[in-house]
Amino acid sequence: MLNRLRVMWSVYKQYWRINILTTLEYRENFLIWFAFTFIYHGSAITALWIVLNRFPEMNGWTFRDMAFLYGLWMLAHAVHNTFFSTVGDIPDHIRDGEFDRLLVRPLDTLFQAIATPGQVFPDELILALLYFGVVTWYSGATVDATFVVFVPLIVLGGAMIDLAFNLFISTVAFWFVRVDALRWIVIQLEQEFTRYPITIYSRGVRLLLTFVVPFAFMNYFPARYFLHKAHEGAMLPAAAGLFTPAIGVLFVAAAYLFWRFGLNRYSGVGH
Amino acid sequence: MSALGDLVTPKVRFRLEPYFQFAQKAMAREATYRFDVFTTVASVLVRVYLLRMVWVALYLRNAAPTDLPLHAIITYSTVALLMGLVMDIDQTRILHDNLHSGTIATDFMKPIIVPLYFFSDGTGEVLFHAILIVPSLLFSLLIVQIDVPGPLVLAAFALSCFLGYMVGFCINFILNCIAFWTLEIHAARLIVTWVTDLFGGEIIPLVIFPAFLQKVAFALPFAAMFSTPLLIYIGHIKPAGYAAALGLQVFWLVVLGFAATIIWRAGAKRVIVQGG
Repeated sequence: MLNRLRVMWSVYKQYWRINILTTLEYRENFLIWFAFTFIYHGSAITALWIVLNRFPEMNGWTFRDMAFLYGLWMLAHAVHNTFFSTVGDIPDHIRDGEFDRLLVRPLDTLFQAIATPGQVFPDELILALLYFGVVTWYSGATVDATFVVFVPLIVLGGAMIDLAFNLFISTVAFWFVRVDALRWIVIQLEQEFTRYPITIYSRGVRLLLTFVVPFAFMNYFPARYFLHKAHEGAMLPAAAGLFTPAIGVLFVAAAYLFWRFGLNRYSGVGH
Repeated sequence: MSALGDLVTPKVRFRLEPYFQFAQKAMAREATYRFDVFTTVASVLVRVYLLRMVWVALYLRNAAPTDLPLHAIITYSTVALLMGLVMDIDQTRILHDNLHSGTIATDFMKPIIVPLYFFSDGTGEVLFHAILIVPSLLFSLLIVQIDVPGPLVLAAFALSCFLGYMVGFCINFILNCIAFWTLEIHAARLIVTWVTDLFGGEIIPLVIFPAFLQKVAFALPFAAMFSTPLLIYIGHIKPAGYAAALGLQVFWLVVLGFAATIIWRAGAKRVIVQGG
């Protein structure tokens, strides 16, 4: 077991080595994708600022609060994109037959899929960390022992919620080869529904975002806790904000079981 | 082609025929992605719900702008979403695709005007997506109420939309021409999409931007794509201002059309050089 982990670790190190070498090789391409990441988040935050400049509050949330709300989501999302975005390539591997090669190799299939080199570089993560640092100061969130201990855990939990849905959609590709449209919808929903405090939605949608597609645990509940907005009492008590890691583990476990189920029934797409 | 009628001489008809065929082919091609149709409509509905909740929450506790009541801004945002179904399509993607695959070389050999071929292909795709406006609108009406202006305003809106579409075509065409030099434009295209979303007034009306940003946004060509038709629709631009508003759109169309021509010629030369 220990030996196996050591092998996986050395493979994983190689994976990052190749990623970074590839990025260095295609420098212009990297720069333009970095500009892309920067403008993507920049335009979202600018849009928030424009609206809240004209309308100073939204259900008791000011721009400062919502900048923090965005920062929490951005960080969790960036952790996911940096370490697990390759899970989203699985349907492509299934379609072109590459996936079948992973099945006959002596390492865990999902691990191999995660460690398939591409052009991954932690630029978004670095950007997200910088932004989160600034916005923590700007929003006036209390930085105490709870904050220092729980924020990294919450970010990991949020990334796991992302991973769970990414893996779930990729697993669907075992049955329906093309899942691009489904993925696109989920990505879009996540972006839109993590931007504002969930109190603006009707009860049904709030329930959905809390228990079914728990994007509210990525940023809303933790932000409510750290910004002392617990009196809002949307569905759950204040401490719910600290439960993100548990929710993340739970959803990843469920997605993994579904993945195993799909993998056991998978018999190729006929190559 | 019968749709052309007898209005044009047989010679002109013979010349135009291929482009109508290109447009029809593009429509048929788009129609094969049935599931995408479903997801497009579903995504519009989710966003209509979202925009309603967002604006209602913002108007609830803040002083509303006198010239932009809640129903006007909800109308604006909903119509913007429906326009986006058509306007957000990159009609000249085929230029980039053909450059990548190398088939652009054979396009040049055909007895056609190549940019016009891209235009008709893109327009066919756009017309197919324009059909989606109907179900999207009908379902949206279950979620929001939309103001409907009088026939004069609607006519000006339609004209302005057409000019906006043409401006959008030029911007996309210029962007795809960049592929003559760099081949990879995926990231650049997404960047332009977001800049258009924000500075074109598709997600937030430019009139609620802070004064400085408003000046910048109104000075950019993106405002001609979304903002002008939408401000006409909700009555923010009064009939007295139509001439100036539409005139500015025409100005951008001429400038960008000219720029597109120059860039296209320079790019096309490169292909011939590469072809040896």
